[in-house]
Amino acid sequence: MPQSLPFRIMIWLGVALLLVWSLGPIYWTLASSITPTSDFSARPIHFFPQNFTLDHFERLLGINVDRIGGVEVWKQFRSALLNSVISALASTVFCVAIAALGGYAFTRLKFPGRRPLFIAVVATLAIPGYAVLIPLYRLMIGLHMVDTFVGITLIYISAFLPLALWLLRSVFESLPLALEEAAQLDGAGRLYILFRIVLPLAAPGLTAAAILTFLGAWGQYMVPLIFSPTNTKPLTVLIPEFATKNFIDYGLITAAGSIAIVVPALVVIFLNRYLVSGLLAGSVK
Amino acid sequence: MTAVTAITIEKKRGAASNGDAVLGLILVAPIVLTMAALVFFPLVDTVWDSLHRINPMQPGTPFVGVANYTNMLSDADLGRSWINTFIYVAIAVFAETVFGILAAALINQVRVGRQWILAAVVLPWALPGVVNAVIWMWIYQPGAGLLNGILTVLGLPFDNHVWFNDRASAIVAVSVVHIWRMMPLTIVIVLAAMQSIPDHLYEAARIDGAGRLKMFTAITLPLISPAIAIAMTNGTVAAFNFFDEAWVLTGASLDTRPVLIQIYLETFQNLHFSYGMALSLVVTVVSLLVSLIYVLRVYRSTRFE
Repeated sequence: MPQSLPFRIMIWLGVALLLVWSLGPIYWTLASSITPTSDFSARPIHFFPQNFTLDHFERLLGINVDRIGGVEVWKQFRSALLNSVISALASTVFCVAIAALGGYAFTRLKFPGRRPLFIAVVATLAIPGYAVLIPLYRLMIGLHMVDTFVGITLIYISAFLPLALWLLRSVFESLPLALEEAAQLDGAGRLYILFRIVLPLAAPGLTAAAILTFLGAWGQYMVPLIFSPTNTKPLTVLIPEFATKNFIDYGLITAAGSIAIVVPALVVIFLNRYLVSGLLAGSVK
Repeated sequence: MTAVTAITIEKKRGAASNGDAVLGLILVAPIVLTMAALVFFPLVDTVWDSLHRINPMQPGTPFVGVANYTNMLSDADLGRSWINTFIYVAIAVFAETVFGILAAALINQVRVGRQWILAAVVLPWALPGVVNAVIWMWIYQPGAGLLNGILTVLGLPFDNHVWFNDRASAIVAVSVVHIWRMMPLTIVIVLAAMQSIPDHLYEAARIDGAGRLKMFTAITLPLISPAIAIAMTNGTVAAFNFFDEAWVLTGASLDTRPVLIQIYLETFQNLHFSYGMALSLVVTVVSLLVSLIYVLRVYRSTRFE
């Protein structure tokens, strides 16, 4: 349908408004993170930084070592950043690998209990995490796994497996069976077919499952608040701690926020196609 | 490690007749083990323990029947947090649905650069809830925040206005943060449904002389209504599970406390483990009832052979 000029102007005004709503708060955090603390309370407000500083990032990353209230912020921050990366990556790798193997079995292999097992696993999508949190806590204490990477990774895997499995099975189902049958006639074994034919073809689906798992694990708060309180503390648990003191250091908060934004932002910018397809498979089906 | 355990389990069970069945069981064993140990066992444990008194500060775990459940009825703080949660659900689902459909309709009209607009719109959803909370905490900041800064530039008397001082504005402020994070999901779902509507329907309507508004109400809305239902259910469940933003922005404040924070406080601060478990079961059941439509959809499309 042809679009008249006034109509197009209206659309672009609407889009501009939508972009300001979506990106404005993120812009403000990034802009504040390079603004000197002394400029923060300037009135009338400056929408663009008037002076540039890397002071907040230096304090956060320990470039010019500075101490706040006797606590070395940068040591905490560096280890929290590392902890976030480790736990999110480990959960993603294991979760997608386990879901891919199982998803293939649920799609192509006949074994006793296949249907009830699949339904039981996928049905847990409807159960919120906190319904199992307290027994998990006692279990993890019993196993001495509170505040360990193994413990937190196991919990993330169990939390994100159902969605990854659901997504990957629908991907496997959409692959042409003829290809696998031809390989089978040529004498290829099941595992050869899985690793050499099915998984390469399912790469977009694997990417989507990996993105959803990674973002999910990267953004978790309540779970690491309970299960990763000190040694394996991730960014999401550390950042609010900057805000619970009597004096709230917004320079540190916005700088730390900016760093926590970078990783999801890269994923969205470069992998948005897979992310959107994964979101749709996870929610619409 | 899990693979090895899986194989030994398999050998004990032994008698699988064909190779596919054995391989199938081996491949799903990691899933079954993980889910059994970390989801199904804890879930059964939650139900069982919610009928006992479990408190690390008190000896023994006596059976107390449904006392944990009946105690909820006289728990005033819990009542207030339920009310807060229902307010969050109402505000969030309404705003996400109305503005989400509007935004999706807008993006659907864009011809160039649509994927970049979509990427920008999805970004808030991809960020950790905690980061969203601190982004907005800085915006709401009374003395130096962006919101008061803008309002003051517009000539309004909002210099040093504190948004979390009264209940109504605090709840709205916290809801906005949640809506900012969850609306992208509605937009993605609704936009996908809009894009699946065949062009010839609009062509036919145009030949019949229908205007844009008429097309939207007569063609678009009816055809995207299943997607709207799904988006609303997702939004409802997300609002029931609301924790991160409320906890970071307002902590334990009773004015804004949703039920999930109530569970967290009862369990990990008051150490009323079994009361917390009973509470989390009730919240689960309520959110399950509300999301029943969603679950039914999942089952319906889960067909084998």
